[in-house]
Amino acid sequence: MKILVCVKQVPSTNEVRLDPVTKTIIRDGRQAVINPFDTYAIEEAVRLKEKHGGTVCAISMGIPATERLLRDAMARGVDQSILLTDRAFAGADTLATSYALSLGAKQVGDFDLIICGKMAVDGDTAQIGPELSAQLGIPYVTDVCEILESSEEKLRCKKITDHGFAEVEIKLPALITVSKDINMPRLPSISGVRFSLQAPFRVYTAAEVGADVNRCGLSGSPTQVVKSFTPDRTHQATHLNGTTSENADAVLKIFEEVR
Amino acid sequence: MQAELIKPMSEDFADYLRDESRSIGHAEHIAFPHSEEEIVAALRACYQQGEKITVQGARTGLAAAAVPYGGCIINMSRMNRVTAMRHENGTYYLTLQPGVVLSELKKMIGSKKFDTADWDEDAKQAYVDFCKDGEFFFSPDPTETSATIGGMVCCNASGARSYHYGATRPHIHRVRMALADGRIISAERGKGRANGYDAVFTCEDGSQVSAKVPSYRMPHTKNASGYYAEKDMELIDLLISSDGTLGVMTEIEVTLLPQPQIIWGVSLLFENEQSSLEFVDQMRRTVEGVASVEFFDTGALDVLREQKRKSTAFSALPVIEPFVTTVVYVELHCDTEEQAQQRLFAVGEAFTKAGGKEENSWVARNQSDLDRLMFFRHAVPESVNMLIDQRKQKDPTITKLGADMSVPNEHLFDVVKLYRATLKENNLESATWGHVGNNHLHVNVLPNNAEEYNRAKELFKTWAAKVTEMGGAVSAEHGVGKLKAAFLTIMYGEKHIDEMRALKRAFDPKWLLGVGNLFSEKEGI
Repeated sequence: MKILVCVKQVPSTNEVRLDPVTKTIIRDGRQAVINPFDTYAIEEAVRLKEKHGGTVCAISMGIPATERLLRDAMARGVDQSILLTDRAFAGADTLATSYALSLGAKQVGDFDLIICGKMAVDGDTAQIGPELSAQLGIPYVTDVCEILESSEEKLRCKKITDHGFAEVEIKLPALITVSKDINMPRLPSISGVRFSLQAPFRVYTAAEVGADVNRCGLSGSPTQVVKSFTPDRTHQATHLNGTTSENADAVLKIFEEVR
Repeated sequence: MQAELIKPMSEDFADYLRDESRSIGHAEHIAFPHSEEEIVAALRACYQQGEKITVQGARTGLAAAAVPYGGCIINMSRMNRVTAMRHENGTYYLTLQPGVVLSELKKMIGSKKFDTADWDEDAKQAYVDFCKDGEFFFSPDPTETSATIGGMVCCNASGARSYHYGATRPHIHRVRMALADGRIISAERGKGRANGYDAVFTCEDGSQVSAKVPSYRMPHTKNASGYYAEKDMELIDLLISSDGTLGVMTEIEVTLLPQPQIIWGVSLLFENEQSSLEFVDQMRRTVEGVASVEFFDTGALDVLREQKRKSTAFSALPVIEPFVTTVVYVELHCDTEEQAQQRLFAVGEAFTKAGGKEENSWVARNQSDLDRLMFFRHAVPESVNMLIDQRKQKDPTITKLGADMSVPNEHLFDVVKLYRATLKENNLESATWGHVGNNHLHVNVLPNNAEEYNRAKELFKTWAAKVTEMGGAVSAEHGVGKLKAAFLTIMYGEKHIDEMRALKRAFDPKWLLGVGNLFSEKEGI
């Protein structure tokens, strides 16, 4: 089975800090990470490979530094990876991104399955998986939480729906997006880390994948961000430090104030 | 004010009679001071009445140092503010009230968020520098992060990373302490030493406390057993690890260290315990930048396997294959990724040499993977406590019995052999984990009934004697408190215990503070 896994680099979600004087965000260069949902996609791909044989290729569109994360994926069982990197890809929305990824997928050739995380934690759109399948003309299932049966021809998946679960059978080649219930990603081993340093890694520019620059990056992105802002936080916590009965009195008083 | 400050004990305060060691004491009064003035007022009131005083932090100690044997409890939980920051020669210092909780402190340092409203201008300026500067951390890392800084100083707590950074002691720059009679002394690192074995503290009122430093030689191991004592020692070291017997800390200044650029962790899965010890021995000599070396034996892994099977709360634990009998965790602190890689591979080579296979390892190179390995580490004591609580329901007299002894490097194999042979002879179930890099293992006996519990208690006494013979310490990080006082006598002998008594008397002539901690007032009591 030839499996492709899509990987996105996202900022590490550690606490954001403000400079006490300027009140601006302190950018401390904390390292970027693989989108957490994609780590489940990687694990599921590697499990399917272990079951059916074949190869797993990770693919990403991003800045050159994304290589580090793709090599991390290779330390966890991925065999090879592809990075699409070019100034022409910068500023892409989901449409332009899925277009670029589809061209990368075509470089890999006759894949059987593409696995994506159900969404990225920075953009939260959950659109890449379905859009990529449309670009490639293959069927898709989103929010898969368990693969019930798998063969070279088809998958039977359990997916999360708004009201519960659904079982879906899908013919390969196909694309699935996975939720975090699907597995517990493995940690790399020392031998995995050693492999990842030598593992096949290929970089493609927009021209090398034959991209139409008008469909890439900012110029290929119909999405317009009108405004971004930090929501007001209205929650407040009060710490009660007294004895049990003092605390009980204080809680009652708060209830009365609220009422 | 004093009637407000010192309250009679009531049901409301029942929790304050016990600590994490699960021992229960008794007391007549309790005070929750908010300031040094209130501490002094409480002490003076007790001093006049001749009332015993037990100081408490978060009561997370495992040796019952905070459990009162009568008298008045002074609980420090209301003194939980960070009161200043100082920036000198590139180093940052934080002034803490003793009730500051470690997890809160770590959070404040990590997020660089402090409540600076009451800070003076110099401290505020230091904070501005701090925010613009790189990352810093406070290195002592006891597993129980709800400990208070005062408690940590009182027992010289450590944790996994003390393998590289040392215990709490070297990171304490200054201490202010109120004596039983209310006088205030202070000591600062780099200022003030004993003259030979003569220690003299000058109180703020100009009076002096003169004491003889005990003449024993401390073990060359991780050590939290009794007073620090050395010829020409720094005075501040006498106050650290004094287990609440010399005075009440009112202010503690700690030193922060620059955060390492790269932190990687790796767990190595061994088929047999002997190989794991050979690995530790080899790796200590060949790999640089190692911050911690932790150990989990078959007993501990079995408890975890069972826990993962039974409870979804532990489902995030990695699967521990049946062939694994021992896990060793190594944490690497490095300047660059290249360096971390070299060191990781050096660990791999030592692992292979000791009979391991590199594919049988879990490497963590980002925070979320490190968190998973940390969860594994913390799940062990937590699961063992849950197991003991279950058994306690059948027999309420039993409790967990955990050893906290350390030996010098050359005795690592000997001490493990001793533990294994005697546990087997006594037919006792156990789970062992801890800081193998420091030859400091927490052997925890899991008794099924009172008879096994008592047998284990006797066994621990024989271990104390053997560990002393090996040049080790009877308590490496939990402190002696009340529960390990008998071990301290085994370790140092009555002559040196008498020297400690004399030292305490110089600070606390009425013998009011921390009664029952370290040693009794008179021999044999």
